[in-house]
Amino acid sequence: MLRIYCPYCQEVRSEEEFSYAGEAHIRRPEDPGALSDTEWGEYLHFRTNARGPHREMWVHAAGCRRYFNVLRDTVSYEILEVYPMGTPPPDDTSGDRA
Amino acid sequence: MSDDPGVVLHALSPRGCLNLRGDLREAGFRNATATATGVELPLEPRTWRFAGDTAVYWLGPDEWLIVVPAGREADLERGLRDTLAGSFSIVDTSGANCFLNLSGPAVGRVLQKSSPYDFHPRNFPAGRCVQTVFAKASALVAGQADGSFDLVVRRSYADYVRLWIEDAAEEYGLARR
Repeated sequence: MLRIYCPYCQEVRSEEEFSYAGEAHIRRPEDPGALSDTEWGEYLHFRTNARGPHREMWVHAAGCRRYFNVLRDTVSYEILEVYPMGTPPPDDTSGDRA
Repeated sequence: MSDDPGVVLHALSPRGCLNLRGDLREAGFRNATATATGVELPLEPRTWRFAGDTAVYWLGPDEWLIVVPAGREADLERGLRDTLAGSFSIVDTSGANCFLNLSGPAVGRVLQKSSPYDFHPRNFPAGRCVQTVFAKASALVAGQADGSFDLVVRRSYADYVRLWIEDAAEEYGLARR
């Protein structure tokens, strides 16, 4: 069971209250119509699937219902960082897509 | 079952509820709400305030629940719409919420069974409120000055939550009001 810090409730809360919302910082293409099927498929279906630090979104579903970003190690499950939506990923060495 | 109940479950009468959303960075939003409701918006996360019979609960950084006696919500909504400027949202959720009050010496035990949240007074004194998982449903729980807890639950889950509490509290002795 993870214990997750919600940056809006400003408190560490039980994983039960949260839902996972997928990889973070995936930009929707400006002009989807201009993409090839391959590019659109990459955007829709392909994810980093990182082993190690991974930037992902969580939503505090049973709490304040806000989304936020989390940097979590997918091996140790340790949460390395929590930061609000709309902020660029802080510099780190994970090598994830921005 | 002993004569002194460990838990007292009080089903409170319906109340008027308004869900208010707005941006604190917008000039005047805070003051206008305080003028219309008579209660300062609670800005600190997980807190609630009241004045007279109006209570305002923090739900999120831009979201509050305003609770007034049943029948007063329409007037309050009009008052808010007249006073507020800029972008905001007010939704009347009176029909969506049911109100319960839990008290008694064993109330902490029942809350421990029902939710992963720490409702111990050292973590959750009077004036705190929190939305959390409650018996696999969800609830807004507010700490009262008399040491009891108000629960705001979805109307559609109210029967289930009440039955859950009755079952969870049985071993401590339950009184219903």
